[in-house]
Amino acid sequence: MTAARPGLPWWLMAPAVAFVAAFFLAPVAALLLGAFRVDDGPWGLQHFTAFFAEPLNRDVYWRTVRLACLATLAAAVLGYPAALAIVRLPARWRGLVTGLVILPLMVSPIARTYAWIVLLGRNGLVNSALVGSGAVQAPVPLLYTEAAVCVGLLQLMLPLMLVSLVSALENLPADVEHAARSLGATPLQAFFKVTLPLTQEGLVLGGTLVFTGCVTAYITPALLGGAKVLMLETLLYQKVNSGGDLPAASVIAVLLLATTVLLNQLLRRASAARRTRTTVAHA
Amino acid sequence: MRRLRSLIPILLSLCALGASAQQRSLVVSGFGLNTDLLKKHLYTPFEARCQCKVVLESGTAADRLAKLEARKANPVVDVFQASDFIALEASSKGLLQPLDYAQLKNADQLYDFARDPLRNQQAVGGTVYAVGLVVRTDKPSASIASWKDLWKPELKGQLLLANLSTTTGTAQLFMADRVWGGLQGDMATGMAKIAEVKASVPTFYTQTAQMTALFAQDEAWAAPVGRFAWLNLKKTGKPLKWVLPKEGQVGMLNTLSVVKGSRNADLAHQLIDFWLSAAVQTALANDLVDSPVNRNARPTPEAAASLTWGSEQIGSLVFIKPELIVRERAGWLTAWNRVLAGK
Repeated sequence: MTAARPGLPWWLMAPAVAFVAAFFLAPVAALLLGAFRVDDGPWGLQHFTAFFAEPLNRDVYWRTVRLACLATLAAAVLGYPAALAIVRLPARWRGLVTGLVILPLMVSPIARTYAWIVLLGRNGLVNSALVGSGAVQAPVPLLYTEAAVCVGLLQLMLPLMLVSLVSALENLPADVEHAARSLGATPLQAFFKVTLPLTQEGLVLGGTLVFTGCVTAYITPALLGGAKVLMLETLLYQKVNSGGDLPAASVIAVLLLATTVLLNQLLRRASAARRTRTTVAHA
Repeated sequence: MRRLRSLIPILLSLCALGASAQQRSLVVSGFGLNTDLLKKHLYTPFEARCQCKVVLESGTAADRLAKLEARKANPVVDVFQASDFIALEASSKGLLQPLDYAQLKNADQLYDFARDPLRNQQAVGGTVYAVGLVVRTDKPSASIASWKDLWKPELKGQLLLANLSTTTGTAQLFMADRVWGGLQGDMATGMAKIAEVKASVPTFYTQTAQMTALFAQDEAWAAPVGRFAWLNLKKTGKPLKWVLPKEGQVGMLNTLSVVKGSRNADLAHQLIDFWLSAAVQTALANDLVDSPVNRNARPTPEAAASLTWGSEQIGSLVFIKPELIVRERAGWLTAWNRVLAGK
């Protein structure tokens, strides 16, 4: 056996690293640094304090985090049973159903969002059904509300959660649940004590993907929320294209990045803590 | 050998031709809309005349302005097409050069408002469009004849307004302020009036396509609309009409300028002059690309019906001072966001 040359892997990685550094890391760093300094002014957090001094901006930030958390939670709750059902399907059906699940990701976001107008508009299907059944007297505003944005984001991002959960469940040995059941666990106990802990990596991955997708989505909040329901991304677009306020835009970019990294860390910590707790409990 | 020697001048002239063809290329920074039709009526015929190549650079106004500024020391763009207030912003940053009107023979044929819109001779109007009202004729909106009628309670839930992030939104705020007696500086009157009807407005549209879809889905009965969107609105098949409000319509001007330090200023002037000619303006109008600003243009009546053309349309135009927009826009937007976010 020849001894591996110690420096070789680094040299092999060098071109890719150089490419990423030059065309991704450097521009992103320049963009983010812009939030801490403007032109030749002093370095500092003054743009952040100015941004958060405006109550509207605080509301927008809070709304973005809140709606993204809600959509992520809903994606996990809705995604888990669906993922469980998919992995229990015969192999040839599994491919087809997974394909159907990710289909929404392939539809043009514009077309998908216009479909929401047809569904949720004053004369849309939902309002027609509500008025027709006598549940309400006049059409209720469904579009251009926080709820519309949340539902739109959930529909858009749910496939990411599903795919993450399906792949985690596929890696789960088929007999661990049977083992738990044969040792006297109820189906619910088996799920919460065995299946869920063993697949929480998928949940962390799916949660991070969904949350990141939600806070950084532009078209869905722009068309389903509009100017009345501003989110960080729609505010960012306004700052750049209409206000010419680049420092505020850089602040928003930093906030988006920091918030997603923070959530990912929180999810990982929660998952690790849970694993430790489970191990201790069983020791 | 002699034959070879006689070939040399021919070869040299061929090389020179190739080199000169390579040297001259004119870069136009524009909106990127209707590019094929602009090529057909403007760029390709111009390339044949000038023996040069026209290169297009398109994107949002903010994008293109930022690029212009970044390359200030070594400009790449020669001709800059933008809304008048964006051109003024570029001008105040020292990115444009004064036009040589002696080279713009067609400038005399332009409407007065298009000849020197920035009042510093750094831009000419290339096209104009009106922001007026579009209403459903089979709903209570049919009686709308004034900007003030948008505040009628019958429109509740069906009144569509534009977001201030768009130029139509700026025009709408200006008119709201003007007709309700504002001072037209901080737009406070207009903002307060829009805050009054906010609850009646399902959304403040940000894209023309979105506005069209809302009319097509019966979600909207009335909206302030840029004239360039009228044709697509007519295609929805809904009973719609264009209303020229009694207080007038807002005129929005798109301008053409030569970038400071351009190495092709002569060609840039030639292109702008060609662009302003009655023939090109007529051709662009007939394909509904842009409304003419040249008085001698003669679009067909069918085209004119969808354009900002004719004494009635042109006579109704009220213009917003570009310097007002440049100075106040960021402040308006902050105030606007507060108005929309408020309960």
